[in-house]
Amino acid sequence: MATLGRSGLASAVVLALLLVAAPGWAGQPTDQLRTEIDRVLKVLDDPELKKEGRARERRAEVRRIANDIFDFEETARRSLARHWAPRTPAERDEFVQLFADLLERSYISKIELYGGEKIAYVGETIDGDVATVKTKITTRQGTEIPVDYRMRKRGDKWLVYDVIIEGVSLVANYRVQFNKIITTSSYAELVKKMRDKQEEFYGDEKQKRTSQR
Amino acid sequence: MEERTRVNVAVGLFVLIGVLALGYLSVNLGRVSFLGGGGYVVTAEFPSVGGLKPGSTVEIAGVEIGRVESITLKDYQALVTLRINSGVKLQDDAIASIKTKGLIGEKYLRISPGGSEKLIPPGGRIREVEAPVDFEELLSKYIFGKV
Repeated sequence: MATLGRSGLASAVVLALLLVAAPGWAGQPTDQLRTEIDRVLKVLDDPELKKEGRARERRAEVRRIANDIFDFEETARRSLARHWAPRTPAERDEFVQLFADLLERSYISKIELYGGEKIAYVGETIDGDVATVKTKITTRQGTEIPVDYRMRKRGDKWLVYDVIIEGVSLVANYRVQFNKIITTSSYAELVKKMRDKQEEFYGDEKQKRTSQR
Repeated sequence: MEERTRVNVAVGLFVLIGVLALGYLSVNLGRVSFLGGGGYVVTAEFPSVGGLKPGSTVEIAGVEIGRVESITLKDYQALVTLRINSGVKLQDDAIASIKTKGLIGEKYLRISPGGSEKLIPPGGRIREVEAPVDFEELLSKYIFGKV
């Protein structure tokens, strides 16, 4: 039962990170969010894409939608916090890329866990150019997991910059970790760590693919 | 007679010093601030404060930078007013999280400084907040979740 609970939470986390928006009309954050979440759900429920050997395609499709939904730069900037300002534009671009990869590794790669969890939109607050959309994900076991999306208006589109699951903020989590690594060693060390992890992950993926053949 | 006056004055002074010391102690221990105290005030809204109290410390990197001044109810949310030491600047994207000291210690408010150039002005609001994690609720949820 404990493992069931954990997989439920894991898929909720995955959903939380994935299920947000693409180009849409100017309007309420909830409407935009719902449209995009429905888009992701459609990809996940597509029986064609569920077939063996198409997992990568499916994941790429989800990542594409995630790019429309998330403001990865804003998330990266907030996570790096006071260490962002001293970075050069080239360093910033590189970091945003590494950070997006990190999020994909941690969450999007677990997309295969999705199995019909229900999402309810329970509320929305707008405060200037920032909005919070509150949702509840109900797992198949009936556990309700509160997931809040913090969104920022960019042009006519609301983009997600932080996800708060069970009251725990994604940005706050990474901010504390990044700050610890940078203050105890250096920024270069953090980048090196992230790059190594990414290469390691690709190595594993390649191995998996070749062993499957 | 001379002698007696001197003794009286000495006793009087002694008592006065005692009273002042007592006053100082009670103000300090009771964490009361006179005349609003120094620093500036910011607010933050939490869905729940679970155990945070007026007088609780506000910390950055474990260093006390202020105290919780008051906690009131606003639209069924907790509105927390903080008094921050002058000289400590809070960025627009700073995150206020309610944390527990140790595993079962008292609650305090941790601020993780942000990187924004915009600062929160006196009387402003910290928009990014994290409510305390209720372990009991979490436990019961994931242990007894199945209906």
